[in-house]
Amino acid sequence: MERYRVAIVGSGPAGLSAACHAAELGVSHVLLESAPHCANTIYRYQRGKHVMAEPAVLPLRAPLPFDAGRREEILTAWDQAVNDHRTNIRFNATVQSIAGERGDFTLTLTDGATIAAEHVVLGIGVQGNLRKLGRPGEDLPFVQYQLDDPEAYSDETIVVVGAGDAAIENALGLVEQNRVIIVNTRDEFTRAKDANSQAILQAIDDDNVDLECFYESTVDRIDALADGSDYSGQLTLDTKDGKAEVPIHRLIARIGAIPPRAFVESCGVRFPSDESAAVPEVTAEYESNVPGLYIVGALAGYPLIKQAMNQGYEVIEYIEGREVEPADTPLLRHKFAAIPGGDDVPATLALIQQRVPMLAPITQLQLREFLLDSEVHAPAEGEVLFRYKDYSNSIYSILEGEVEIQPGNPDDPKTPRTSIPLGQGQFFGEMSLISGRRRSATVVAGRNCIVIESSRRSLLTLMYSVEGVRRVVEESFLLRAIQSQIAPGCSADDLSEVVGTATVEKFAAGDTVFREGDAGDCLQLIRRGSVTISREIGGREIVLAYVPAGQYVGEMALVSDSPRSATVRAAVATETVRLEGTAFKRLMEQHPDVRRRVREVYKERLTEDMDMANRTQSGNIISFLVEQGVGEATDVLLIDESLCIRCDYCESACASTHGGVSRLNREAGPTFANVHVPTSCRHCEHPHCMKECPPDAIHRNANGEVYIDDTCIGCGNCEKNCPYGVIRMGTETKRRPSLWTWLLTGLGPEPGAELKPKKKEGDRKKAVKCDMCRELDGGPACVRACPTGAALRVSPEAFFEMSGKDD
Amino acid sequence: MHTSFLTHMDFRWLRIALLVTAGAVAVYAWHDPIGGPNGGTWVGYGLGGLGAAIILLLLWYGVRKRRFASNAGTVRGWLSAHVYLGLALIVIATLHTGFQFGWNIHTVAYALMIAVVLSGLYGVYAYRRYPVQMTANRTGVSPQAMLEEIGSLEQQAVELADRIDDSTHQIVLRSLRNSAIGGGVLAQLRGGRPKKSEKVEARTEAILEEKNRTLVASLDEIKQREADRIMRAESTMRFVAGQLSEAQPGQQVARIRELMDLLGRRRKLVQRLNRDIQHRALLQIWLYFHVPLSIALLAALSAHIVAVFAYW
Repeated sequence: MERYRVAIVGSGPAGLSAACHAAELGVSHVLLESAPHCANTIYRYQRGKHVMAEPAVLPLRAPLPFDAGRREEILTAWDQAVNDHRTNIRFNATVQSIAGERGDFTLTLTDGATIAAEHVVLGIGVQGNLRKLGRPGEDLPFVQYQLDDPEAYSDETIVVVGAGDAAIENALGLVEQNRVIIVNTRDEFTRAKDANSQAILQAIDDDNVDLECFYESTVDRIDALADGSDYSGQLTLDTKDGKAEVPIHRLIARIGAIPPRAFVESCGVRFPSDESAAVPEVTAEYESNVPGLYIVGALAGYPLIKQAMNQGYEVIEYIEGREVEPADTPLLRHKFAAIPGGDDVPATLALIQQRVPMLAPITQLQLREFLLDSEVHAPAEGEVLFRYKDYSNSIYSILEGEVEIQPGNPDDPKTPRTSIPLGQGQFFGEMSLISGRRRSATVVAGRNCIVIESSRRSLLTLMYSVEGVRRVVEESFLLRAIQSQIAPGCSADDLSEVVGTATVEKFAAGDTVFREGDAGDCLQLIRRGSVTISREIGGREIVLAYVPAGQYVGEMALVSDSPRSATVRAAVATETVRLEGTAFKRLMEQHPDVRRRVREVYKERLTEDMDMANRTQSGNIISFLVEQGVGEATDVLLIDESLCIRCDYCESACASTHGGVSRLNREAGPTFANVHVPTSCRHCEHPHCMKECPPDAIHRNANGEVYIDDTCIGCGNCEKNCPYGVIRMGTETKRRPSLWTWLLTGLGPEPGAELKPKKKEGDRKKAVKCDMCRELDGGPACVRACPTGAALRVSPEAFFEMSGKDD
Repeated sequence: MHTSFLTHMDFRWLRIALLVTAGAVAVYAWHDPIGGPNGGTWVGYGLGGLGAAIILLLLWYGVRKRRFASNAGTVRGWLSAHVYLGLALIVIATLHTGFQFGWNIHTVAYALMIAVVLSGLYGVYAYRRYPVQMTANRTGVSPQAMLEEIGSLEQQAVELADRIDDSTHQIVLRSLRNSAIGGGVLAQLRGGRPKKSEKVEARTEAILEEKNRTLVASLDEIKQREADRIMRAESTMRFVAGQLSEAQPGQQVARIRELMDLLGRRRKLVQRLNRDIQHRALLQIWLYFHVPLSIALLAALSAHIVAVFAYW
């Protein structure tokens, strides 16, 4: 059996860097890669894709080069480095199991070979290996598991196995110039996106499209044909009517990938939670709970290439018993400038963990990562950290001193003038983080105060991977939500019984929270999403109101001791905090203030509902807009079609103010009773686009606009994730059409025309979406350019409130 | 919720326009110059200057609405002012003339101005009327989708007609070829299709109707005949042949009905699409008069002013 000091699994950025560094140092090593080439994830990027080198501030310390550039350049440079360093790399070597611990690991490969190693570095990423057919013939040369370019094949008989999006997209791409047979193990295409499953069914039904489907069929075996016929092989299928034999040129199986988690767990590595985003815990030296087994790169929660490469270098240093200052230490030192003694980074890290309980349960690495994404402020006394109604969603921890929280609208005379002091170690700002709504309070700094402001994304990552952090944040949210919305002036002790009964309930869009006529046994505080209130009137369900996150429903039945007077449904994916009726009633008995407040809301709602019931038209508008997903919007463009003269100046204004690329499509989108919802960003409470943005380029600023900054790498994830199709990929230009040239001579483009970029500007596409013209004074250009007043940008609450009063 | 350009800021520009008009009328009524009112008195010059200033302001609207980053008011406000001040111009300019008209450049300028205002008035009417009709006609289907649907119906119709028989195929093809969507300016404004295509379509439907009737009528007869033959048939072979030939006319009837249904749906859709095109044309056509007339007005106005000062 071969023996090495280090066995490195996976030749991604982290593994390559580790192997090259080991080679450089003369450490005996082997790099195992299951694909026939290096860096399979990057290899699978589309041709010519631009790869970013974020974070730009972080220095690269790996023994192989890496700069932002095209996929091909990067891969070539890496292959070159692997050769130059005489790295011991073994391709097509899939590791099946890893057993043992420091000094004595045994790695078993799928081909049966075993390798002994003193240390193992796991850098296998999170993409997983493509699932193979698992039938005889699965590795024949004409059987493939991915398809880079459907246009590369023509006039072939191609079998596509699978019923997911990838299979359907491949089949539809290939059928343009091939005969395609799709093999589905089930009797329908339920796993795919709606659009895809409709498209494939249509293609199967269409006689003019050369595509047929074998339902409820599986692959039995594949045999190579050498009978002189044109076909390369024969596929045997197990269909519901027995075996079927099909001569084929090519088989493409798109049956998903095996997530690496099961494999990692089989090596003895523990994950902290069942969340799919959870990453295994590792020490500051990247060592997992299995001594001698190190985890680096995306699998350890570091998806950026440069970070992974640095870790590859560092992990070899650690294994060789050397101390290296992590590459981010100078960055942290810079961040800690505002903290007395911040020069000593390890000591400051320890101080932060000691003082801020929320950060106590996390590992050193997680803490470093978290703080790299944070800012340390030392505000002057009386400085405002954020204001009521701001749209920021960062979270703050108090390292030193104290701050004052002033809940509610400072301009509203009805809001009680209370302020809550918060001291060292506590955190604030979690309300907006969880509800996705505007700030519910103004926060002012006290004397000698130092706060750490952290981004939404890094806290969410922590909450997913560290149970302790999640618990602290959620409990605090519950208490504060009840305090601010229902029972101001009550202490944590007063509320302990109610908080004790509180449970979080989740509803999908359209789910019933409670039904008219049910017994009223609880109060539901909406912490995320929004709901509609409807009542059966004349045999039809009429929507009476829309209630956003931060408010509560269900008080009527509790105050009046009667059954539910209306049905409450989730308008979008919604989370509520359920407070048990008995505990809540006791709270009202003990605290007349609470009772009075709840009664006020009750009375207000009662009159509102009665008004609404007489105006069914507005109710229909609410249900129409809620169906369009406006329930999760914070600001939506609505066009009154009775005023819209279809001049498209809104689109021109958008293109003109955004480099010749319009971010709105007026014509598209549904209409109800003259209210048209064009395709334009709604600035969702929990923007779908923010998920899976590799450079974290999508942000929300204090006024609520969700925008994409310059670091966009054009990967298109946000375009795919947006359910409303409002993001497009485009190239903006600095060209500015001249109004006078166009007006007087008719030459050149009209102002507001869609423009192509100049040659030297390049044609790299980036994601573009509505940013509410945040860089212009006076608000969205589309609205200001509408000559007739048909276009309006408005928050759904304001619209619903006004449409109730209008008619 | 939405505010129209007509009601912009609680009719601010209507109020300003009324104020300006009332002021002009009052001054005109109060002033009693020697030789009667005319453009040459100080009131005349005043009204003329005011009118010219308003005209320039209204012309500037065309520039402002294309300056998308501009913050000089909203375009809605500008349009509101454009409409109401434009209407006020009728009074101001008429008073400026002192009701002295003649065959000269001055009256040409006046006439052009009235023409511009009138075309604008139609514009306001169109802007109020057609958007609602347009939405109602579309019923949520975009013109692009209508076009695609029409294409798909036509394809189905042709395929079906081909399966019925050759003559049907020919008729349907001719009928489809003859119907038009959109067309020249006049055709667009009319919103209808040329008479000829209506005729061809009506004839196609009549022929299909006739075909259908004959088939249905003969169906019983054919069935009877086939039944007799099958009774006399000796072999299974003949029986099957009989079955097949019997199925034929029944299938034909179903096909013709389906074809008629397809053609009917297509015709309705074409009508709707044409109406949409008509609405669009009606919303835009007036601009082809309004804008060139405005430019002509600017020229005539300049000539008028130069002439007045040259002959002073």
